[in-house]
Amino acid sequence: MNAMLIDSTRCVGCRACQIACKSWNELPSEKTQFFAGKGYQNPKDLSATTWTLITYNETKRRGRFDWVFGKRQCMHCLLPACATACPVTALKKTPEGPVVYDSSICLGCRYCQLACPFDVPRFEWDKVFTKITKCTMCADRVAEGMEPACCKACPTDAIVFGERSKLLAEAHARIDANPLNYVHHVFGEKEMGGTCVLHLSDVPHQELGHAGGLSEEPASAYSRPAMASIPFVLTGLGIGLGAVSWVVNRRQQLAAQQKEIERLHEIAEQAEGKEPGGTNS
Amino acid sequence: MTDFFKRTSSGLLVLYALAAFGLLLIVYRFVMGLGAVTNLSDSYPWGLWIGVDVLAGIALASGGFVVAGTVHLFGANKYHSLTRTAITTAFLGYLIFIFGLIVDLGRPWNLWRALFNWNHTSPMFEVAWCVMLYTSVLLMEFLPPVFERFKLTALHEKWKTMVPWAIVFILGIFTFAMTDSLIWTVVVVFVLLFWELVFRAGLSPRSIQMPLLMIIAGVMFSTMHQSSLGTLFTLAPHKLHPLWYSPMLPVLFLLSAVMVAPAMVIFESIVAERSLGHRAHMNVLSSLGRAMPWLLGIYLVVKVGDLLARGAVSDALSISWQSFSWWGEVLLGVVLPFTLFLSQDLVQKRVGLLTAAALVVLGLVWNRVNVAVVGMIDLEGDVYFPYWAEIFITLGLISLGILGYRLASLHLPLHEEETAATH
Ligand code: SF4
Ligand code: SF4
Repeated sequence: MNAMLIDSTRCVGCRACQIACKSWNELPSEKTQFFAGKGYQNPKDLSATTWTLITYNETKRRGRFDWVFGKRQCMHCLLPACATACPVTALKKTPEGPVVYDSSICLGCRYCQLACPFDVPRFEWDKVFTKITKCTMCADRVAEGMEPACCKACPTDAIVFGERSKLLAEAHARIDANPLNYVHHVFGEKEMGGTCVLHLSDVPHQELGHAGGLSEEPASAYSRPAMASIPFVLTGLGIGLGAVSWVVNRRQQLAAQQKEIERLHEIAEQAEGKEPGGTNS
Repeated sequence: MTDFFKRTSSGLLVLYALAAFGLLLIVYRFVMGLGAVTNLSDSYPWGLWIGVDVLAGIALASGGFVVAGTVHLFGANKYHSLTRTAITTAFLGYLIFIFGLIVDLGRPWNLWRALFNWNHTSPMFEVAWCVMLYTSVLLMEFLPPVFERFKLTALHEKWKTMVPWAIVFILGIFTFAMTDSLIWTVVVVFVLLFWELVFRAGLSPRSIQMPLLMIIAGVMFSTMHQSSLGTLFTLAPHKLHPLWYSPMLPVLFLLSAVMVAPAMVIFESIVAERSLGHRAHMNVLSSLGRAMPWLLGIYLVVKVGDLLARGAVSDALSISWQSFSWWGEVLLGVVLPFTLFLSQDLVQKRVGLLTAAALVVLGLVWNRVNVAVVGMIDLEGDVYFPYWAEIFITLGLISLGILGYRLASLHLPLHEEETAATH
């Protein structure tokens, strides 16, 4: 399965990848403001027209105040929360690696946005004929045997593209070869069941704008118990409700019959009691 | 009649105005896009509409299945006078809710695709199917008064014979869509067919007027639908505040929906009595009121027990907007009405019943808004607050619902006192 390895220690913050993404995907530029986000970071956040973003983080690197760059984009999860969430399979994991989106079946419910633990999918809020947007790992290029546009553009090889298992081994090799220069954690190796985008960094990954406190279980593990119980609940209710109504209605029927019998008895008794006298009429 | 209009016209006018303004804003939304009428954003993709129109709206429509089930399946005939109004409320509620959903969806013209593109793992897929299928069951349940009103006896007869088969078909398809398993589908279809045979063979007595299978299906779909709305949020463990995030969310949503059903019936009957002049059956409402402490109590125990089990008590005791909102929901919406409903005096009186029931309804809406909005807010980032147009669209939808209910009430034989009077 294809994957990307992004090593923030090699990133110089040139944003060539951000531009390459825009040109390949024909995304318009965006009106931005200086210092709207963190320092020189521009734009402020991912958006419907910005699918990848270099974050500019002023933080401490080995005791010294420094600028560290991170790259935000879709993580192309192995078991994506967005694909679990999407009611119509508009978002799908492909066997080649990319998680792709098909607007022609999307309902625009935005459940994918709610579900994605990495806050990736964006929605075109200002359009009537809207869609969800996000990085596609350049699925179209990958299908033609090319690497994604951002990898191609990166001048320092901070982004490399390849087979996930190989890149994972490479990531660990880099940490082992230079243990003082890396946080000993490959972000994306295990997060949410693992992802096809792997990050290396020399500061804690959260300081680069990546989500923290994520579990190692895929999102589907959280909804599965409820979803798996559906047929049991349906069958149980079907049997239970039918049985209860049977018992209750039968009992009521018997009670009604009993009453009817008693009433008849009463009438009969009354008739008997009245007969000898017969004065009432 | 004239003085009834004199009495209510100002209130009605407000409703008409709100509904018209809401519709106007909805037109504007479809010309300008969601961004123009909402404060929703990529950080807050769901807001007021999901909280109030969808989550609370569906929960408040639970009267339909709770009352129908209690009367027809559990034999509580004393509540019979409430079934038609409860079913009508539920049906109208669902129609309004679907309308609201179309406003909220970004690409509503694709709604029908959920019928053909199946994702068995998606809670939203379950929600979408429940909405569509339960609305059709509600339509079936709603029809008899219409048949009666327009004297469509032949159609009514057809309805009686067709409904059970339609139900078996719908539930069969639903089971298959949810499980992707033929075995489960066969099991569910078999169970339903078995009961239908039992009913038809006269082994179990039944009322010819109400196909029991339809009532059973109503309860099954509602159980799935109410709980699936909670399941939606189980996918967001990293976003929903721990005060509300729980694997038990589906159960809590179901319990609270059942709990609000009698409260909503009480509330509605007393309000309708004032505005539409249908005498409320006070003894029936009081006996509903006496059931309330049980329902509220069970919900409270499960809710607090869940909080304890998850170790989230410290979140409830910390000082934050979220914990404040949690206490509001629990104290005002559950604990206070619980104590009120316990009082024998109060349950006999209209004002008392109305107050306590209104609190339960308020508490439920508060809970759903907490889950969809308050619990999602990240105080360190941008904070979402609904845009005025969002609020007015919601108000417009609610007004439309009330007006629709009024129309149905005036023109259909929903209230038993009238039908009884003609006999
Ligand atoms: S990062 Fe988010 S959008 Fe991308 S595949 Fe994972 S869940 Fe889906
Ligand atoms: S917004 Fe579209 S892609 Fe996202 S979950 Fe809904 S239907 Fe799927």
